Amino acid sequence: MLLMELLVIISTILLLYSLLSFVWKAFDRWRNQNCYLLEYICYKPSDDHKLPTDLCSEIVIRNTRLSLSDYKFLLKVVVNSGISEDTYGPRCIVQGAREECPTLDDCFEEVNDCMFTTLDELFHCTGVSPAAVDVLVVNISMFAPSPSLTSRVVNRYKMREDVKTFNLSGMGCSASPVAIDLVNNIFKSRKRTLAVVVTSESIAPNWYSGTDRSMMLGNCLFRSGGCSFMLTNDPSLKHRAKMNLKCLVRTHIGADDDAYNCAMQKEDDDGRVGFHLSKNLPKAAVRAFSKNLQRLAPKVLPVGEQALYALRTLRHRLWTSKVVKVDAKSTAAARVNFKSGVDHFCLHTGGAAVIEAVGKALGLTKYDVEPARMTLHRWGNTSASSLWYVLGYMEAKKRLRKKDRVLMISFGGGFKCNSCLWEVLRDLQDGGVWEDCVQDYPPQTLVNPFMDKFGWINEENINTEGRNIPSHINI
Amino acid sequence: MPAEPLPQFLSSVKLKYVKLGYQYVMNNMLTFLLIPVMVAIVLEALKLDPDELVALWRSLGFNALHTLCTVFLIIIIATAYFMSRPRPVYLVDYACFKPARNCRVPFATFLEHARLMPFFDEKSVRFQVRILERSGLGEETCLPPANHYIPPNSSMEAARAEAELVIFSAIDELIAKTGIKPKDVDILVVNCSLFSPTPSLSAMIVNKYKLRSNILSFNLSGMGCSAGLISVDLARDLLQAHPNSYALVVSTEIITPNYYAGNERAMLLPNCLFRMGAAAVLLSNRRRERGRAKYRLLHVVRTHKGADDRAYRCVYEEEDGDGNSGISLSKDLMAIAGEALRTNITTVGPLVLPATEQLRFLVSLVARRLGARGWKPYIPDFKKAFEHFCIHAGGRAVIDELQRSLGLSAANVEASRMALHRFGNTSSSSLWYELGYIEAKGRMRRGDRVWMIGFGSGFKCNSAVWRCLRTVNTPVDGPWSECIHRYPVHIPEVVKLL
Repeated sequence: MLLMELLVIISTILLLYSLLSFVWKAFDRWRNQNCYLLEYICYKPSDDHKLPTDLCSEIVIRNTRLSLSDYKFLLKVVVNSGISEDTYGPRCIVQGAREECPTLDDCFEEVNDCMFTTLDELFHCTGVSPAAVDVLVVNISMFAPSPSLTSRVVNRYKMREDVKTFNLSGMGCSASPVAIDLVNNIFKSRKRTLAVVVTSESIAPNWYSGTDRSMMLGNCLFRSGGCSFMLTNDPSLKHRAKMNLKCLVRTHIGADDDAYNCAMQKEDDDGRVGFHLSKNLPKAAVRAFSKNLQRLAPKVLPVGEQALYALRTLRHRLWTSKVVKVDAKSTAAARVNFKSGVDHFCLHTGGAAVIEAVGKALGLTKYDVEPARMTLHRWGNTSASSLWYVLGYMEAKKRLRKKDRVLMISFGGGFKCNSCLWEVLRDLQDGGVWEDCVQDYPPQTLVNPFMDKFGWINEENINTEGRNIPSHINI
Repeated sequence: MPAEPLPQFLSSVKLKYVKLGYQYVMNNMLTFLLIPVMVAIVLEALKLDPDELVALWRSLGFNALHTLCTVFLIIIIATAYFMSRPRPVYLVDYACFKPARNCRVPFATFLEHARLMPFFDEKSVRFQVRILERSGLGEETCLPPANHYIPPNSSMEAARAEAELVIFSAIDELIAKTGIKPKDVDILVVNCSLFSPTPSLSAMIVNKYKLRSNILSFNLSGMGCSAGLISVDLARDLLQAHPNSYALVVSTEIITPNYYAGNERAMLLPNCLFRMGAAAVLLSNRRRERGRAKYRLLHVVRTHKGADDRAYRCVYEEEDGDGNSGISLSKDLMAIAGEALRTNITTVGPLVLPATEQLRFLVSLVARRLGARGWKPYIPDFKKAFEHFCIHAGGRAVIDELQRSLGLSAANVEASRMALHRFGNTSSSSLWYELGYIEAKGRMRRGDRVWMIGFGSGFKCNSAVWRCLRTVNTPVDGPWSECIHRYPVHIPEVVKLL
């Protein structure tokens, strides 16, 4: 009898212990759900990579296949681009004049410089050893050699044998949130994991040397840039983290043929490969953007704002006599005040027009779009890494305070619109890559120096005396 | 040079096994304690008669409330236990691309084209033919239409056309087999090493099949012949985070843009070995798929030897002296593959070897440690852990090396050799062609375990362990359906062409 009671007591204790251990496991898992951004380092190329206006026009003129109307078109694009004299290009184009026939070594040099400079600095800043990295993601859209760039990084930093590497490619300018999504999903099933993500773009092998105008835009707008950042779900590193990921929404409207074909890498009629940007692009961007916002709004907006939006939409539906189809959604979206749930906006610097359009759609002020416009001015369109330069600007300007919410929105080929919301964990004040120039921003005037030098090209009768015009152009 | 035999790896593995054993005991401590206690209670209860049992029950003083609370407690514990387990990942079905007969490249065609190519010199032609003679490939392997031109058409348009041909055929067949609606796919992972356009191949699939706008798509590139298992690993991680989902994994290699048009020997090998192929796999974590799923994923283990410079450089894309780019394969490839495999199986071994094997290994380890010299080092026998092996059909030499290294019989590697013979080296999708062979031969029974091993540039060695959930009955619809009756064939060491 005594033995029986003893056994019952022991089994009750064991059952209670197992219950407590399960509760602890569930709590532990909940604690590990977070995705913290420990540090991000943007790439600042050395000065011998700079691409000022003189050099730009020289490179344009080097292409002997272009006619006068093509030059006028190109210069008009550059004038309206909002890009300054300080942006960077790959060394083989800036110094080597090898844009038409880059070697594999040129491509590797460009990519190595970006990846290794930023990663060296990242490991140094965070004090984390490369051997502690569990997940490595590299995302460079238009250059995918064998072995992959992730293997290149593993080799250079002697990472562990069980490191999980992923080399994303072809995912366009919106690939940063895709990489974050990948890491976030891995975090959900692994504890105390450290991930490093490198995002950049490769310009050297993708310079377009033909005469198709839709493909020449890429040459004018894309510039060298990149970023390496470190993510973790380890709660013990929370005190060192800069931001915490709150939600991430991905939208892919590739199912629509127009959207899929609007930004595509293909050959022109002469067989030269270039990146074709079609006239449908703005429309596709708007559709992807509004779809993304529809899913994002409930996750980002406070309950009060959502209720107001619901009321407004209801009133609009009930009290309006005319049935306005597409506009209803877009104007209703415009009436949603995203600023009630978001303090800072990191917009992809796809171009001056894109930033303006997105700003208008979200009802943003000049102050809100300033980081994106200044990033475009200083760095150009650095593709997937542009969001991080915008974030760097905000941080350098000391705008990011604890508990602020930052929304990153990017667009890319496919057609995709991806967005993610971060919460700032402490007051941030690193100058980063903007340290030496942020005090000059915003500049008094954004007038493009091209206008001064090349404005004459728009004149009716061009006086060729004294102008440096190459012989192959007939005026 | 011959690689080190297997016993050498034991020295690095000792501590790992001990640590694993300790972890196993600690993790299951509760079970180890509870079971004896429960057994003892039952034995005690059996000794008493019913009246005494009832009196005992009354004396404990449980009233209805206590009983209810205890029952609730037990239910909560049971639920928490089941919810904390990782979600199972089922392979619902898979489909491989079946090339059309007009894409065949018999030896005679290969030889004639090589002679007619303007950029090959006589030595290069002879070298390629010698490789082909000893490669283990058959007469029915296929190259994409663009490669049948002289010189081959390596434009982006042709590459996209090949991608559409192989990928869409495989996915169409998968949809027909599983009856899944494209709108139901939640996750899409595509891997293609040597061709990566923008927008990506995953966007191409989203466009063709009108997949949903909230799909999670990932496009992996440059990750070599082992990328198929990397995609499966990624899909598995995603399925852990998203309940009730379907993941579509597409593995392929696009040959069109990668024809090497130079005379560097190390870079001519891929021309001879790589062939057209693709596989589409449907994974799911829905419980209702358990009824019709073919396999269940047990483990995926990834090993990356990139930290070692020799391993990193052994499969390397570079330009030759004339500026032609191609993939150079180093002479160390076999040795490095062997090393990578050894590292991989030190992790896989403890997960899959039966308890008897592990116990024998532990005993021999302890005995040798204690100084008993009579004990020979015990090599775990992997044939006891798996019924079927799918080894990446990288080439005859790779299969030979692995057969020797793991002590496998000819029957174990038959699937790999026959897949190499019929389809050539289709890179990341080769594992699925081999699995198709085993099924077409009617050898796949319920409960069988399959070990898939892939190697690739980097240098990576990845392996996956699957368990078969239902016996696969012949005839099996797939790329082997028309020719399986002719297999296995005897593949001679050298097929004389010249």
